[in-house]
Amino acid sequence: MLKSDFDRRDFLKVLGWGGTAVALTGCGNGMVESGKETVVSYVETSDYMIPSISVYFNSTCAQCDAGCSITGRIREGRVLKLEGNPESAINRGKTCGLGQAGVQNHYNPDRIRAPLLRTGDSGEAITWEKAYALIDEKLKGVSGNEVAFLTGGMSGHLKVLLGNYMDSIGSKNHFAYEAIGPAVVRAANKKSYGVEMPRFNISKARVVLSFGADFLGAWVSPVNFSQQYAQFRKGAGGHQRGVLVQVESKMTITGANADRWLVVRPGTEGILALGIINALGAHGVKMSGDIAAAVKGYDKDRVSKDTGVSGEQIEKIVVLLKERTPSLVLAGSAAEGYAHGSQNAAAINLLNQVLGNVGKTVEAAAVVPFPQMAPATGNTAALKALNDGLSAGKYKVLFSYGANPVFTSPAAMKFKDNMAKAGFKVVFAQYLDETALQADLVLPLDSALEDWGTQVPEYMAEGAQINIQQPLMEKLHADTRGMGNILLALVKQRRAAEYKPFDDYYGYLRAAVLQNKAALGGAHQADNDIFWNETLSKGIIKLDGAQHASLSVKSGAAGLSLPEPSAIDAQYPLQLIPSVNASLRDGRNTNQPWLQESPDPLTTIVWDSWVEIHPKKAAELGIVEGDIVEVSSKSGSLKVQAYIFPGIHPDAISIPLGRGHEAMGRYAKGYGVNPFQILDMVYDKETGELALHETRVKISKTGERVIVVKDEGPVGGNQEGQKIVPLMATDKANLSKEI
Amino acid sequence: MSISTLFENYSEFRHRHPDGDVPHNPYKWAMAIDLDACSGCNACSVACYAENNLPVVGKEKFAHGQAMHWMRIERYWDQDGREFPDRGARYLPMLCQQCEAAPCETVCPVGATNHTPDGLNSQIYNRCIGSRYCSSNCPYKVRYFNWYDYPTTDNVWPAEMNMQLNPDVTVRSKGVMEKCTFCIQRIRGAEIDAKTQGRLVRDDGELQTACQQACPTSAISFGNLVDPESKVHKQWRAQQVDLDKHEQVKDEEEGGTDLRGYRIYEFLAPYPSIMYLERVRESEI
Amino acid sequence: MKDIREDIAWAQINKDVLKSLENPRKLYWVILFIAIAMVGVAVGCEVYQYNVGLGVGNFDNPHMWGLYIATFIFWIGMSHSGTLLSAILHLMHADWRKPIYRFAEAMTTFSLMTAGLFVAVHLGRIWQIYFALPYPNMRQVWPNFQSPLLWDAMAIFTYLSSSILFLYIGMIPDLAICRDNMHSGWRRKLYTALALGWEGTDRQWRNFRMTYLTIACFLIPLAVSVHSIVASDFGMSQQPGWHITSFPPYFVAGALYSGCAAIITLFIILRYVFKFEEYMTMPILKKIVRLTFAISMVWTYLVWVEYATAWFGHNPHDQHLLLEKATGTYAPFWWMMNFCASVVPLILVFKRFQTNIPVLFAVSLLLNLGMWLERWMIVAPTFADGYYPWTWDHNQWPSLVQWGIVFGSFGWFTMLFMIFCKIFPSVSMYEVKEMVYHRSLATKKLQATGELAAAGKGAH
Repeated sequence: MLKSDFDRRDFLKVLGWGGTAVALTGCGNGMVESGKETVVSYVETSDYMIPSISVYFNSTCAQCDAGCSITGRIREGRVLKLEGNPESAINRGKTCGLGQAGVQNHYNPDRIRAPLLRTGDSGEAITWEKAYALIDEKLKGVSGNEVAFLTGGMSGHLKVLLGNYMDSIGSKNHFAYEAIGPAVVRAANKKSYGVEMPRFNISKARVVLSFGADFLGAWVSPVNFSQQYAQFRKGAGGHQRGVLVQVESKMTITGANADRWLVVRPGTEGILALGIINALGAHGVKMSGDIAAAVKGYDKDRVSKDTGVSGEQIEKIVVLLKERTPSLVLAGSAAEGYAHGSQNAAAINLLNQVLGNVGKTVEAAAVVPFPQMAPATGNTAALKALNDGLSAGKYKVLFSYGANPVFTSPAAMKFKDNMAKAGFKVVFAQYLDETALQADLVLPLDSALEDWGTQVPEYMAEGAQINIQQPLMEKLHADTRGMGNILLALVKQRRAAEYKPFDDYYGYLRAAVLQNKAALGGAHQADNDIFWNETLSKGIIKLDGAQHASLSVKSGAAGLSLPEPSAIDAQYPLQLIPSVNASLRDGRNTNQPWLQESPDPLTTIVWDSWVEIHPKKAAELGIVEGDIVEVSSKSGSLKVQAYIFPGIHPDAISIPLGRGHEAMGRYAKGYGVNPFQILDMVYDKETGELALHETRVKISKTGERVIVVKDEGPVGGNQEGQKIVPLMATDKANLSKEI
Repeated sequence: MSISTLFENYSEFRHRHPDGDVPHNPYKWAMAIDLDACSGCNACSVACYAENNLPVVGKEKFAHGQAMHWMRIERYWDQDGREFPDRGARYLPMLCQQCEAAPCETVCPVGATNHTPDGLNSQIYNRCIGSRYCSSNCPYKVRYFNWYDYPTTDNVWPAEMNMQLNPDVTVRSKGVMEKCTFCIQRIRGAEIDAKTQGRLVRDDGELQTACQQACPTSAISFGNLVDPESKVHKQWRAQQVDLDKHEQVKDEEEGGTDLRGYRIYEFLAPYPSIMYLERVRESEI
Repeated sequence: MKDIREDIAWAQINKDVLKSLENPRKLYWVILFIAIAMVGVAVGCEVYQYNVGLGVGNFDNPHMWGLYIATFIFWIGMSHSGTLLSAILHLMHADWRKPIYRFAEAMTTFSLMTAGLFVAVHLGRIWQIYFALPYPNMRQVWPNFQSPLLWDAMAIFTYLSSSILFLYIGMIPDLAICRDNMHSGWRRKLYTALALGWEGTDRQWRNFRMTYLTIACFLIPLAVSVHSIVASDFGMSQQPGWHITSFPPYFVAGALYSGCAAIITLFIILRYVFKFEEYMTMPILKKIVRLTFAISMVWTYLVWVEYATAWFGHNPHDQHLLLEKATGTYAPFWWMMNFCASVVPLILVFKRFQTNIPVLFAVSLLLNLGMWLERWMIVAPTFADGYYPWTWDHNQWPSLVQWGIVFGSFGWFTMLFMIFCKIFPSVSMYEVKEMVYHRSLATKKLQATGELAAAGKGAH
C-alpha cells in the first residue's frame, strides 16, 4: 500500500541546486526601494525558474534526528512547503507535523541576523571577520584541554570536520549531548543485541509489546514506525491485524493507539517483563537456564502486586505472545528513565530473546561504510561530564552548537553558573535561546533549508543511506552562516594549507563526496558533475551493497537485578513524568507557531504547559481542571495548570517538556513551564544517564484557577451516545475484505 | 443578467447528489479515512496549515474558540467508567465533509458556498459577506470564520514568515468564512494538467491532498469516486457505502455488519463525501 | 374612570396635540440626550468592530451568532404591534385605537429601522451588504433565493417601506393641520411639502380612506409573513432547537406580544412626558392590557408546544438541548424568560392592576425583558449544544462590544422616536376628532331614545 508515487509524477522536475545556482531572493522586503537590490527580469532567470511554476528540491529534514528525506516546493525562489521524499526508505514520502513546520524554522522572524558580541544583557553586532578573529585570539595560549565543544547529535561530514577542528586545536573534549535521546536503551541494546540501534520490524510483527516506547510519537524514527504500524495494523503478509500492547505509567500517543494500554507503577516495567518471561516459561516456552533462574522469583502474584497489572492480564499477554509470532518487544524512554533504567531495558530486551524475536523482528541495521561519518549520538552523561569540568574551572573556551543546555538541564546542575566560569563562550545558534544569552559571542546559523550538509541517520530503515542536505532557497539573511562554513573557517585558522582547496563547505562536501564516488554508488558514472547533480537531485545516497552489522545475542540475565518498587515517600508522594511531545521534543522547536497551536494529541492543550493528574488523585487532592498547582521537588518548584487525565498512574503526574522558555523568540517565550528545571539529579546506575523519571514531587493548590486553553469542548472526549467514532472488536471485524 | 440564470443556478449547482444515471462526470472527489490506522499525530493538521495559509491565532484567540484548523484531530475516550482508558483513545480527523446535499449551501444568502460539478463544496471568499449562516447550519461545525484580519494581525505572518504563504491559495481577510477545500488548488492544477494532456487525473499519487500526502500512516485516501479503478472507489464499494443513500443497506442487516465503513450524521441526509473506517480493537487482549 | 371627553372642542384637540410639537420640556431634552449618548456607545463599538473584526464581539466556533441576531428578532417583533393597532384594529373598527395608533405605527417603523441595523452590524463584511440584493450586474450573479436570510432581507425591506408609507399616508390630514397652524420656518415648509396640498375636500377624503384601507389590508399579511420568515431563519435550518415546525406562528405571537408590551411602556411614557392624559385615557390602556394578556397566553401555549415537541419528539439532540437550556449555562436566563413572559403577565388578570400605572410600567418592561431573553434563548443555546459534541461550548459570553451595540440600539430607537414626536403629531388629530364626534353622536342618540340611563355608561 505504501507504493512509491513520485517517479510517475513526470511533470515534476526534481532538481539539484548547482553550485552556481542563480540567486533569487524573495520579494517584498523593501530592498529594491532602499536601493540595496536591483530588479532582475524573469526573462533572464534560470531556465527552471518560471513564474507560477513550482520546482522541487530534495533535502533532509533537520527538525529532529530521524533523518527523513524531504522534497521542498519552491516557487519564485521561495520554499513554500515540505513534503516527504518517496525515495527514502525512512519516511517514504511521509512527514510528521514537526517536519511540516520546518519552513517556520527557516522563515522565523526571531532568527539572529548578525554575529553578536555580548556583554551582560546587551549585544553588539559585529562582522564575521571580527568574530573569527576574536575566536582565534581567545584560543591563543589556551591548551586543547581547556577547550570544550558541546554539540547535539552529529553525523556526516560536519562531524568529520568538527573532529578535524578539534584535532587542530588539540582538544578531545567534544561532548555530544541530547536531552531526551534514548541513551540507556542504546547501551542496553548494545549489551543485548550487540548493536546500539537495531532495526525494529514492526510491520512484520503480529504482536508489539512496547514498554514505554512512544514509537508513533517522539521515539527514534516515528515517521518510519508510523508507516510500519499502518502495515502492522492491516496485517501484512496475509496475517491478521497486529496487536499493540503498551505498558507505561503515562499514556503516550502510542499508548492511545494500543489495543490494551497497561498502566504500571512507575519504574516497574522491568519487573513486568520478567514476570511475563516467567509466565511464558510456565506455558512451556523454552529458555536457557540462566534466564529461567533470573526470572524465578517473578511469579504472577508478586509481579501483579509490584506493578499493579492483574495476573489475568499478564496471562492474556503471555497467551497472545506465545500464539502469535513473531512478536516484537520494545524498551522505550518510559522504561529507561530510572536509576535502574539499564536493568529495566535489559529485562525487556531479554523478553525479545526468549520469544525468539531477535533476528526476525529485531534485525541488524545496515551500516554506512564510513565510520567517521557515523552518528555521534548524544546523551546526558556527556552534559554531566562537561558540567563537572566547567564547574571545576577546567575549560577556558566553550563552544556550543545544536544544544540548549541552560534550558534542558536540571536547575540543580547549575549549568548556567558553571558555564559562566568558562572565560569565553561561543554559541552557534539560530535563535537567542537561553544558552545563547549566556554566551560572549553568538554566531548566527543558516537554517536547515539554506545550508549544506550530509547526514547519516542513526536509525537505518532498510539499506544504508546517506542523506543530503541542500539549500532549498537562497539565504534569507545576508549575515548568517552554515555551521560547515564556520567550522571550515575555523579549521583554516589552524590548518590553512590543508584546507586551502576548499572555498567553502559546499566545495568541501562536493570534493569529499566525489572522492568516494565509487563507494557511494557512482562507479558507473565517469562524469563528476553528472554524478554530483544526480546525487543532489535524489537527495539521498543509497548504499545498496552496505554491510549489515551482525547481532550478537547475549543473555543479560546474569547481571539482572531489579530493585523492589520504592515505597511511597511521605514528603514527595508523586512520581514526576516529564513527557515528550512529538512536536516540541526538548524545546528546540517551540518557537514555531504551527507547533504551538497544534493541540497535544492526548490533552488537546495548546500554547501552554499542564500537569496531568489522574481523576482519582485529583479528587483526593481536591483539584479540578484549570487549578494552578505548585509542583515541588527537592530541586525546585513550578506553578502550572492542572489537567485531569485518566491515562496516568494515580501515583504519578506528568508535565510535558519543551515549553517554558525564557528566551528564544516571540512564540516560545513566556508560554508554559519548563519541568527540566525541577528534575532531581538522579542517574542511571550503569550508564550515568540522567534518570528523567526519577524525580519525586508533591503538589499543592495555589488557589488560582484558569480556563485551560484546549481544543476539546466542555464534554471532553465524550461522544454523548452518538455514532461519531464507533469501535469494532476484532472478533467482529473482517479486515480481509478490505482494500 | 437574464432571468434564466435566476432559475438555472439552483437546479444545476445545488443538486443533492447524482440522480440515477446522471452521475458526476468525470470527477467526484471523495475521501476515505481509516481510523484504525490514524494515530492522531496531527501531521495532517500542520500540513494543512502549511498548504492552505491558515493563520495561527495565538493563545488568547484559541482560548476564545477562534482557532482556524480546517483539519482538527478529535480525541475521544470510551465512556464506560473504567478507571483507566486501557483501550486507548479514539482519534478522529474532522474536516469539511464536502456534503453532497450540504446544509451550508442552501442557506447562504449570497450563494457564496456552492457545489461544484466535481462534487466539491466550494467557498467563494470574494462573494462571502459573513452572515455565518452556513456555519450555523453545519452539523459538524467545520467552517471557520475570519473573526479578525489575520494578515495584518501581529505575529500571524510577520516579515519573512509571510514568504511561506502559498501563492496558489488566497490569504483570507476578515469577515469571510473558510473551510477545508479538499486542497482545491491541487485538484484544479491536476485537472487542468490532465485536460491539457487529453486524459483524466490518474489515481497514482498525481493528485494528493496535503493531509493525505503528509499522513505517516497513510490513513487518508483521496480520489475520484467515479473512477472504478481509484482506491477510494474500491474502498467505498468494499465497505458498501453508497454516496447517495442516507441509510446504508448493510446497516439494516440483522446482527450488524462486519464492515467498518460509515459516515458521520448520515441520518441528517447531508450525504457526506468522507467515509470513515471504524477503529478496531483486539478482542483477545 | 375617565375616558376621552366627548365635548372636547376640535380646536382644543389641535391645540393640545400641536403643543406637543413645540417647546420641549426639560425632561424631553434629558431623554433625548441620554438616547444620543447611548447611540454614541453603539457607534463607538461598531467602529471598533468594523476596524478590528467581529472577533471583538467574542464570537467563536460554534457561537457564530449572538446578541445581534437575538436583538434583531426582538426589534422585528416589536414592530408588529404598530401594524396590529393601526391596521388590524382599523379593519375591526375598534375606535379606541385612534389616539394611540400613530405612535404605535411610528414604533413599528423605528423598530424596523433598528432591526435593519442589526442585520448590517452582524455581517462580517458589512461593506459588501449589497451582495444580498438582486441588483443587475454584469456577472449575472444573483443572490441565493433559497436562503431564508435572503427572504428575510427582502421581507424586512418590504415591510419597512410599507410601514413608512402607511405611517405617512395616515398622517397627511394631520400634516395639513400642522401646516395650517404652524408659524413660518422650516417646519412650515416641511409640512407644506408633506401635506401634498391636502385641503380636506370630499374627494380627497374618499381617496384617502381608500388608500389607507388598501395599505392596511396589504400590511397585515406582510406583518405575519415577516415574522414567519424570521422564524424560517431558524425553522428552515437543520439544527436542534431551531428545526421546529411551530416556529412561524410562535414567532408571530411573540412579536405581537412584545409589541403590545412595548406599547404599554410607550403609552405610559408619552402620557406623562407630553401630558396626553386627555387622549391616552385609562380605558384605552385597559384595552391594550387585556389584549396583551390574551396574546401572552397564546404565546405561552405556543412555547409549551415547542417544549413538548422537543421532548416528546424523541430526537436525542432536541431533548438534550432542552435539558441544557433548563439546567446548563443558560438556565438562569431561560428560567427568567419563562417567568417574565409566562408568569408575570398573570398579574394582568387582576382588574386593579389593569390601570395601575406604576405596576403596568414595571410589568411591561419585564414582559419585554422576557421577550428579549426568549430571542436570545432561541439563538445561543443551539450554538452551545448543537449536534456535534466536540464543539459544544458552554463558556462563550458576548463581549462588551456586543452588549454595547445592543444597549445603543435602545438609544437609537428612543432617539428616533423622540425626534419623531417633536416633528410629527404623535396623536392622530383627525381620528381623535372622528372618535369624539362619533361618540358624541352615539351619546346623543342614546339620550334621545332615553337609553343612556339604562346602559349606565358613556361610551360604547
